[in-house]
Amino acid sequence: MKVVTGVVGNDIHVVANRLIDISLQARGFEVFNLGVNTSLEEFIDAVVETDADILLISSLNGEAEGWCRDLQFLRSEYDLREDVVFVIGGNLAVGEAKQDDIIPKYRSYGFDLVFHQVDLNTGLDALEQYVKERA
Amino acid sequence: MSKLLIDVGSTYFKVCQQSGINQYFRDFNKDIYDDLLNKCGDIFSNYQKEDIYICSSANGGLSTLIIGLTNSFSLKFAKNIAFNSGINIIDTILYNKIDEAKAPGELIDVVIVVGGIDGIGKVFDERLFTFLKNVRYNNIVYVGTKQDATFLSENIQELKVLGNIITEKLHVNGGELKEYLTNLYQADIVGKEDIKSLYAITANQIYSTPYIVNRSLPLIDANFDVVNPFIVVDIGGATTDIHYSRDLVRDNIVSESGFDRLVFKKLGVYKSRETLIFAAKNNEFVYELLAYLNVTENILEEESEKALRILMQLSIFLVLYKVSRLHPLYVTLHLDLLNTVVLTGGITKVLSYEEVESIMQFFYKKVLGLHAIPNIVMDYEYAIWTLGMQNDTASRS
Repeated sequence: MKVVTGVVGNDIHVVANRLIDISLQARGFEVFNLGVNTSLEEFIDAVVETDADILLISSLNGEAEGWCRDLQFLRSEYDLREDVVFVIGGNLAVGEAKQDDIIPKYRSYGFDLVFHQVDLNTGLDALEQYVKERA
Repeated sequence: MSKLLIDVGSTYFKVCQQSGINQYFRDFNKDIYDDLLNKCGDIFSNYQKEDIYICSSANGGLSTLIIGLTNSFSLKFAKNIAFNSGINIIDTILYNKIDEAKAPGELIDVVIVVGGIDGIGKVFDERLFTFLKNVRYNNIVYVGTKQDATFLSENIQELKVLGNIITEKLHVNGGELKEYLTNLYQADIVGKEDIKSLYAITANQIYSTPYIVNRSLPLIDANFDVVNPFIVVDIGGATTDIHYSRDLVRDNIVSESGFDRLVFKKLGVYKSRETLIFAAKNNEFVYELLAYLNVTENILEEESEKALRILMQLSIFLVLYKVSRLHPLYVTLHLDLLNTVVLTGGITKVLSYEEVESIMQFFYKKVLGLHAIPNIVMDYEYAIWTLGMQNDTASRS
């Protein structure tokens, strides 16, 4: 399966990005890593150009909240496949935030899976399980 | 024996010998060959055909329409390659919006179609053919996913298929397209009857001047007081070229060359005077700029030396404006990082250093909000192109 990944916005956490890339490849995914400092439009465009199955956005500085609000709008701009899985993970809020507040918020943005302060492998296990169940 | 270097511009001939550079205003009632022979026939008789090198910028560039799948990859990569090949981009169309897109009214030299990495198919469909029926073009090239190449070739006559410009890692691979566009540009120059006849006096390939100037950029600091990053602005009679260090661009494109160029086809002070005035009048800063220069808009209708000076100052402003962050249609240069501006072409024959400095101060203060301006270098002798020509002759001898 093809995964587009990268770090959204003005976030330059390159080590985390590299770890996600390696972990995805180790699990057999074909990875298109856009690296750090990536805009939401670039993510969507990469999904279109590669016909990817999964978009996995990461954020550590918490600013994803501001950067990802237009996901629904950008999705509607392209004739994207219905079955593309949208995933976001990392630290998804600036300062303290409860899971109960964060997860519904990102879901409302259009993400299928939201991992706030969840261990990488736990998140990827959940992603694999989700994809398996949907198949 | 030494070499004779000739640059055929839209307004002037420039002839460089060991003794220096001479310029001759062109007689537009004669063809280029006759005019050149009339003015410089004595000089040619001192040189062998093998020692005469000619470049020309008298063709005005080619035009392109780009149809791409996304803004961030297909269109961005193709735009960058087209600009660097000296091609003027008339319009870009996002494939998803092609049903709503309006076909350009003018004849397009080359249409570029791009989208998708290799391995994915069915990116393009009937909508492309419907749209192309309304476009008048001379050439069409496809540089997208190879899975769609056969389907498109079967449905688009004379389609040229080249390697995908988007790699499997979503990086740019511009080699084949750049070569194709550069060859088209070159063919357009030498294909013009006026230029073809110049092979009577030279045994060497005639190149486009922007290509030659681009070759001279790595050597520029040896002859001029230039600090990188810099731009070279060549404002001529018909076109304006801007050559820039890639350090001034922040994008996701990895380029082999340290320098790129843009050609503004309809921005010149003689042959493209009308379009220059049109562009100026439509610029949001123009009235403020004219007030700053102590003139009114009536100056644009005048045929005086003062009017020419104002037009040249306007053209400097417009070129910088078109590559600034205020004008996202073109490549955006980070002009705040710029250390040196080199001005060359006909403009250096008309404007003084102080007049250029004045317009730069206006631009930097008004558009960028900066008080300091880059160092200005005036290439009064129009010597930059000779560096590229000499480099070309040296590399082949």
